[in-house]
Amino acid sequence: MPGLNASLYLGLTGLQAQQAALNVVGHNIANVNTPGYTRQRADLSASQSQVEGQIYFGTGVTLNSVQGIRDRFLDLQIYRETAKQTGADERYAAVSAVSSSLGDTGSTGMAAQVQAFFQGFQDLSTNPENAALRTSLLGKAQAMITGLQTKYRLLDDQRGNADQSIGSLVGEVNSLTGQIAQLNQRIATEITPGANNDARDQRKSLTDRLAALVGVNVVESPKGEYQITLDSGNAVLVTGTNAFDLVAKRSGDEGYLQLTSNMAGTVVDVTSAIKEGTLGAKLDLRDNILVGFQAQLDQLAAGIASGVNSVHKTTNLITHEISNYFFQSAAEANGSNGLPISIAATPALQSGPGWSTLYKGMVNRLSVSSDILADPSLITAGAGATVGDNTRALAIAQLGTAAGTVEMGGTATASFTSAVAALVTDLGTQAQTYKAQSSAQQNLVSALQSQRDSISGVNLDEEASNMMTLQRGYQASARFISVINQLTDQLVNQFGK
Amino acid sequence: MSFRTSTATQQRQSLQDLQATQERMALNNARITSGNRIGSPGEDPTGAAAILDFGNSIDANTQYLKQIDSASAYLTTAENAVNGAVESVMRLGELAVSGSSASVPEVNAILQNLLALANTQSQGKYIFSGTKTNTQPFGDPLAPYTYQGNREDINLGVATGTLVSTNLTGDQVFLGGKGLAPGASPSDLFTAVQNLATGLLNGNNATVQTATTGLDAALANLNQMLAELGGRQAGLQSLQTSLGNFNASLQALQTDQQATDYPTAIMEYTNDQTIQSATLSVMAKVNKVNLFDYLA
Repeated sequence: MPGLNASLYLGLTGLQAQQAALNVVGHNIANVNTPGYTRQRADLSASQSQVEGQIYFGTGVTLNSVQGIRDRFLDLQIYRETAKQTGADERYAAVSAVSSSLGDTGSTGMAAQVQAFFQGFQDLSTNPENAALRTSLLGKAQAMITGLQTKYRLLDDQRGNADQSIGSLVGEVNSLTGQIAQLNQRIATEITPGANNDARDQRKSLTDRLAALVGVNVVESPKGEYQITLDSGNAVLVTGTNAFDLVAKRSGDEGYLQLTSNMAGTVVDVTSAIKEGTLGAKLDLRDNILVGFQAQLDQLAAGIASGVNSVHKTTNLITHEISNYFFQSAAEANGSNGLPISIAATPALQSGPGWSTLYKGMVNRLSVSSDILADPSLITAGAGATVGDNTRALAIAQLGTAAGTVEMGGTATASFTSAVAALVTDLGTQAQTYKAQSSAQQNLVSALQSQRDSISGVNLDEEASNMMTLQRGYQASARFISVINQLTDQLVNQFGK
Repeated sequence: MSFRTSTATQQRQSLQDLQATQERMALNNARITSGNRIGSPGEDPTGAAAILDFGNSIDANTQYLKQIDSASAYLTTAENAVNGAVESVMRLGELAVSGSSASVPEVNAILQNLLALANTQSQGKYIFSGTKTNTQPFGDPLAPYTYQGNREDINLGVATGTLVSTNLTGDQVFLGGKGLAPGASPSDLFTAVQNLATGLLNGNNATVQTATTGLDAALANLNQMLAELGGRQAGLQSLQTSLGNFNASLQALQTDQQATDYPTAIMEYTNDQTIQSATLSVMAKVNKVNLFDYLA
């Protein structure tokens, strides 16, 4: 049978264990609002028994470890879905920012301006002798060009903004991956596996932030280290205790930032390899989405220029020299380097891979011929020399609604107004898709987070009740020690009196 | 076993719901105050495209209505001139029957009047000289009754793919046919009037008789021209009516797509207000209740 001293010691383990567990409760309460914090639990067990003869006597309680209550796989899933959510958010924000201007269905919208231009020709056809109508037609042409160019520039600005933020986002990503690699090291060298809860929490919250910025795949090694790769799998960001920085450098004809990853001397271009997260969305916006809208504007401008010019031009019967185009590009010649004379002029490129870039920058090159601006009487309303002839004005006005004037998707099938409507629908559909994606992802992420919180989150009521239990345990242990103390007193001081 | 709910989850969930409600309220608020159902194409891409499409058709039709007005204006001016000519020719018929040489000055005055009618201008343009609208069709000092204009029609687009000619050429109306020299056609008005004047002056019955036949033929020609002009006008009028009706129904369709459905929007808004205040009061209560309050 254990002696009184052993009983005192048993009481002491109780006091210490309750106090340690209370300490854990205090830590949980202190971190109730810490993002990414995982609640901890004191893992108590009964100490080794002491054997005397055939009897096993308990020796009190031992604190084995303090454990974080976490589900590792849930964490990995949350990283993946967070990136998709921020990606959709970012795309939606950018597309809806341009959509109200580009998709203006009112009287100042693109469709109205294009139509007004063609109506200017129709007005001229009613009274080709009238100089005021020519001036008004020029005004409408200028308004249409300015409108198209403003919208084009808006898209350019958005692309520029995206490019600006890519630079700072890359810095943030590199700082996060560096910190994660350091935490990997602290976790890999922990004394008991799984003991360094706070380093894990810190790493989780940093990885959450990383995943919001860039789409990642995270794998946890048996030693507990995170290995992080880009969502496309093209480059490694963190492996073991090493982080590989992304490098942003300006290059290319537009001077935009291109991203590379340098991993052990192998340089990989990852500009198009980041799909999700804020960074992935910004790259996608800059290089694909907004460019697509610009291409549609370019095709519209090219269609208008070629359609109007092919009717408006004057061919010299003797020299076959063509002059007096309505629209003139900044480059002096029409044709290969300037505005197209007709879509059919470049049939080889129509269905080829070059069609999307064929008319690149057409909007910015569009301008009314300077000769016509200086002398509006050069606008030819008729085919012949007589002043009342309105056949050309009529033909150009009819182009406004004719089909097959704008090349879209490689074939010249759309009319001008339907090309604008297609752009509006395209914008709207994309905005709607990203919005739906964003709210679906948000629901998913928040469901996953609730699941994570349900396992790992701190509930104050629960902590309060634990605290109460532990307090009682502590009081009981203290009472036990006091009883043993009285027994000892009995034995030492009162015995034999 | 009960599902653990962490303190943070409760707050996050309420906050998310509150934000969703506020977003819906902002959207409905914009719909109510602007009167537009669609603020940006993303809210309803098909609807936005339809509005654009209807708007385009309405604009195009409105433009066509303007064109019809201009075409009608030209046609009406021409009709008035031809009408004037018809009245003059009828007066000449009466004078021919009287057979008196005293009528010669009046016949000459009517001839001048007919020339003036043939040179009618509208908005500064000669309406009977084809597309040579700045050239006086008749009245060249050397050859006063020779047509100086050309044979071109002036067409205006009045509906998609529909052109209407807004003019008649002077030779067609006054010389009896396109591209004819004076006297080439039996229905040449000016030759007939000149013959009448000569016949009356000389008391030559045969010449007066020839002139009367010519006047009858010219009158028939003028009446045919009037019928032509009237037919074009009638066509334009029915087109005008149908374009107007078409526009009205298009506008109704566009409004259906574009305008805010006020009862629904206001209902939703009120509903969201209720949800919002309920969420707020639940949030306030949940955050207040805590086991720590009950521990001594």
